[in-house]
Amino acid sequence: MQGVHGGSVSLWGFYARNSGEVLGLVGQHLSLVASSTAIAIVVGVPGGIVLTRRPAWRGPVLGLANVFQTIPSLALFGFLIPLPFIGGIGATTAIVALVVYALLPIVRNTYTGIAGVDPAVREAGRGMGMTDWQLLTQVELPLALGVILAGVRVATVVSVGTATIAAAIGAGGLGVYIFRGVAVVDDTLILAGALPAALMALAADALFGLAERQFAWRAE
Amino acid sequence: MGGGGRWRAVQGGACALAMVASLAAGCRSRDRIVVGSKNFTESDLLGEIVAQQIERRTGLAVSRRFHLGGTFVCHQAITAGQIDLYVEYTGTAFTAVLKHAPVADRDSVYRVVAGDYARRFGLVWGKPFGFDNTFAITVRRRDATRYGLTRISDLARLAPRWKAGFGYEFLERADGFRGLASVYGLRFASPPIAMDLGLTYRALAEGKVDVIAGNSTDGQIQALDLVVLEDDRHYFPPYEAAPVIRQATLARDERLGAALAQLAGRISDTEMRRLNALADVEHQDIATVARDWLNHNVP
Repeated sequence: MQGVHGGSVSLWGFYARNSGEVLGLVGQHLSLVASSTAIAIVVGVPGGIVLTRRPAWRGPVLGLANVFQTIPSLALFGFLIPLPFIGGIGATTAIVALVVYALLPIVRNTYTGIAGVDPAVREAGRGMGMTDWQLLTQVELPLALGVILAGVRVATVVSVGTATIAAAIGAGGLGVYIFRGVAVVDDTLILAGALPAALMALAADALFGLAERQFAWRAE
Repeated sequence: MGGGGRWRAVQGGACALAMVASLAAGCRSRDRIVVGSKNFTESDLLGEIVAQQIERRTGLAVSRRFHLGGTFVCHQAITAGQIDLYVEYTGTAFTAVLKHAPVADRDSVYRVVAGDYARRFGLVWGKPFGFDNTFAITVRRRDATRYGLTRISDLARLAPRWKAGFGYEFLERADGFRGLASVYGLRFASPPIAMDLGLTYRALAEGKVDVIAGNSTDGQIQALDLVVLEDDRHYFPPYEAAPVIRQATLARDERLGAALAQLAGRISDTEMRRLNALADVEHQDIATVARDWLNHNVP
């Protein structure tokens, strides 16, 4: 217990002495999460929509996204280093890896959300003479929004934690403290990275929780 | 990976007690010699070589407690009598266990370590195997040939145009980058990129960085056609591997000491690198690698 107490005291001391560095790393961490989640949404939501139109692709695509989830990050980085454009060392590679990990929940929830729309509602839309595009944008997507947001929420919260591995490929972020702490067996350093990351994950979860409730309510 | 020699050195504090406790419950058969090892390939290999050597030369039964969670766990286990011996590195014992500041002279490090271990823990240091698993400043063979690089001091003139990628341990440790940079006057164009040690090898081989700090016995050095630069100003402390054994165990059978002595000085840096590569790169079974090595070298 004494150790924990001493640790927390020196943790605040550490933050006080290194506030500039801490803020820089928090900023890097946030931008890694934000850019990778944004890309994953831009790729994943249309991807999920396509799956509702091409049911035969569902198995292979979700299977592939599942496999992506299981690749250990260091192995993934190893594969990416030699690749042009999406590889090398630094932020690009880290973002590519984070996108790969964030795709599954977004694609799957988009698909599930739209597939779960009451067929009667869809029929009613068709009966009114809606085109497929109108049906999608005016009926299916609004009704599925809550479920899609739930997927984005999971992806973001997981990304906040996963982004700590960016430090393994020279992309910075809060993982830098964790890696350094592990390397020299310094609990304060590990906590210095892990604590803000945990708070960030909780904040992201709460924020998306609010948004989700908002949209779920509007959909009803 | 050999790096573990030092850094897993101290890792694993949390699970250490649990592991020692489970060891305590696990091995009660005190007629057997219990050989431990740390949780990386080189330690497993050396543990297996020692175990087979004891089996061959003494006929004593050996049980293996391999891949324990680092120096801390092994040290706790051997001082508690739950294992009888394991292979340790002089530099690790010197800094991580005995908490001395790093020193570069290998003989004095060995003397201090052997003396302190005998006095404080009742443990005997055997003769080193002959290799030194220390930090290895490593470049591509192509660059070494083109620029005539053989020593770290040759690097100073190239550094301003070169990019370095280092593991976190090397960047943080007292005997790591900062000291190296000042001893050799290295000024890189940009601060070294901090990344995972294993990935630095890949990054070097792919030309993403130009110089890394690996570990001198890592199998990748050979596998990726890399060259280790000579530490011509003797900056890095020695990390010689040697068996550490309980005095009580050693006294039980005189053939034990003789069996261990036969291994002294038999494994060079290159040889250890080759053995690590057999296990890590070619995925050969550790018991087989150890048996083949013993057949050829200690007939």
